[in-house]
Formats: sequence, structure tokens, C-alpha cells
Amino acid sequence: MNALLLTREPLDVACVLAQVASPSHGATAVFTGSTREDGGGSHAIVALSYEGYREMACGILQALADDVAARFGGVLAVHHRLGEVPVGEAALVVAVGAPHRAEAFAACRYAVERIKDEVPIWKQDVRADGTREWHDGMAAIGFGA
Amino acid sequence: MDARIRVRLFASLADAAGAREIVLEVPPSTPVGAVWALLPEAVHRGDPPPQGVRWALNHHWSLPGAPMQDGDEVAVITPVSGG
Repeated sequence: MNALLLTREPLDVACVLAQVASPSHGATAVFTGSTREDGGGSHAIVALSYEGYREMACGILQALADDVAARFGGVLAVHHRLGEVPVGEAALVVAVGAPHRAEAFAACRYAVERIKDEVPIWKQDVRADGTREWHDGMAAIGFGA
Repeated sequence: MDARIRVRLFASLADAAGAREIVLEVPPSTPVGAVWALLPEAVHRGDPPPQGVRWALNHHWSLPGAPMQDGDEVAVITPVSGG
């Protein structure tokens, strides 16, 4: 399985960790981002739906993996869900294996922040009443209204 | 001969356009940013691109002034929200 993966299937943290395992790594850091409850009643979020620009996202993730290797001496694995992700399930798993814990923690945080800033993936709230709203900055100027 | 450009739209812009892919024919070397005004009126609304919109040309980040050629793929990238 590819260490940089966009998939419609549920994520497997153990699989992501296995992809950064190495005898030269004394530390592995992992981040899991999950869909969480927000709001209540008919307005409650029941899922997030993710759309991605797969062709571009894969290139950016590969460049990020190269950057993590150069900056931290770490090995990066990223699995991101696409499609509908029910509350409580993981949407993103990022793991970094590195020689020491300081590099592993720093590289994992660095990778997560870069992913959230740069990788062309968008999430959409799916609410109990059937309404949906994209998180792409466009609602503020009237899109999706 | 005009250049045939594939335009990719995502999230709320795709919903507004009613399509996630649009094909345009433009004069060669037309800048990437000129695509905005050629999108459906429901997307551009007669306004310039909103703040935060970025461009990609053939799967790489692009400046709006980059020239397009026949067969290129342009994407309109609104602020991302993965993770």
C-alpha cells in the first residue's frame, strides 16, 4: 500500500505506523484527526464529506515527504479519507518515524499543519437535517446559501 | 487555433457551476487567471476572484499570469480544509 494515500475506505492506524517502521527509527509519532460531533438536534453534524483534487494532492504529499526527510531525517506516511466520514471515524492519519522523539514530534506537527494549509482537499459538514456546508471560505461571500 | 483547456472546480464553486469539470477554448497564451471570467455566471457573479482563491496549472501551483497552452488543465483552488 502507498504511504501517501487518499482513499474512500476506513483508515487503519496500524497500517500507517507499519509504513514508517525502520530499525533506524527510535521514535514514531502519529496524529489522528477524526470527525467530531458539533451542534445538536437537527443541526448536529453526523458526518463530514471530503472531496480532493487527487492528481495535485498526491504530488504535494510527495514533496512534503521529501521535505520531512530533508528537514527532520524522518519518514512520512499520510492516509486521508475521501467521501463521507461518519462521526467518530478517522479522516486523517499522519505518522513520522525518526531517529529521536524530538524530530518525530516536530515533523509530525509540521506535516499536519502543511497538509491542512496546502493539500487540495475540502470538507463539507453533513447535518442531521440533511443540510450541507463546505469549508472553503466561500460561504462568507454567499456561496452555498 | 484556439487552445482547449480543461478547468477543474471543487467544493462550493463546483456546486455553484453545477459541474466539476468545464472545457474552454481560448486563444493560446491566455493567462490562467482569465479563466475566472469565463466560468458560469453563477460562479464569477461579475466579480473578480474572491480573496484566497489560488490557481493550479497541470497539477502544480500557478500564478494567475501564467500562459495556457492547448491541452492544459487549470484548477480553481479555494481555501482548503482537509484533515
